[in-house]
Amino acid sequence: MSIKLKALLKSPWVFHLSTGSCNNCDIEILDCLTPRFDIERFGMLLVGSIKHADVLLITGSGNRKSMERAKRLYEQIPKPCLVVAVGECALSRGMFVHSYNCPVPIDKVIPVDVYIPGCPPKPEAIIAGVVKLIEKVRKSTEKK
Amino acid sequence: MTREEVLDDLRRKFKDDIIEVFDKSPKRVYVEIKPDSIVQVASYIFKDLKARFNTASGVDLRYHMEILYHFLIEDINLLISLRVKLQKQKLEIDSISPIFEGSSWIEREIHEILGINFKGHKDLRKLLLPDDWPEGVYPLRRDYKEWDKNVIRDRGV
Repeated sequence: MSIKLKALLKSPWVFHLSTGSCNNCDIEILDCLTPRFDIERFGMLLVGSIKHADVLLITGSGNRKSMERAKRLYEQIPKPCLVVAVGECALSRGMFVHSYNCPVPIDKVIPVDVYIPGCPPKPEAIIAGVVKLIEKVRKSTEKK
Repeated sequence: MTREEVLDDLRRKFKDDIIEVFDKSPKRVYVEIKPDSIVQVASYIFKDLKARFNTASGVDLRYHMEILYHFLIEDINLLISLRVKLQKQKLEIDSISPIFEGSSWIEREIHEILGINFKGHKDLRKLLLPDDWPEGVYPLRRDYKEWDKNVIRDRGV
């Protein structure tokens, strides 16, 4: 397990999943890939298929229909994997907390490793969150 | 046709169907009509006045429900909103999807969310709500109550 996680940290490939967000978090995530922030210097790459990914990055408030799909995607991602929730909606559903279509927060359905708050979070915050995640996993593998 | 000619034409042609014409601004006019005459008024505005059907919006008000059909006449930049008031005991109206196909999805959405029955609509399936949503529960009505026992309404993280 730990050697797999260690190998994953060198170049985590990210699959970006929007469960009904307003697209603002998605725009900030795409900003991370632009030359100004250049998240590829940490080896991170957006991939098109969940089967190529190490990290599942979730935005949006998670409504009844899309959480079924998110569950199915989580079953398909190669384990061990990491899950990152970006934005206020993915954390606590934000202003949609009383909505008829958002029954449970995402982390009650899928285990989430890192929460990045903000509406939307700045690209700096997303990078800081991901770097913290890498540090956390590295420390946990070193102990073992 | 200018803006005034269009309004006069509507007033003359549908004397008995129009209840009230509310002239809000140079670009916007609300025409309240009887629910039974929606098909002929809408088809006249669409086919003869060459308007574009934007969308429809349903509202649950305190004493009645209301549907607004928004039509835009692009040549004179006039947005006509046909207002239809429905009594809450009898939530039925003729569908306008036989006249123009574009209204069929918005009628499906109003049907599942407000529970208004569109007579003559070919395919009133659910559009946005999940398939396991219970029958007879309409989420945007004023008397909507939480039906799901498993929901969590605290902020969590």
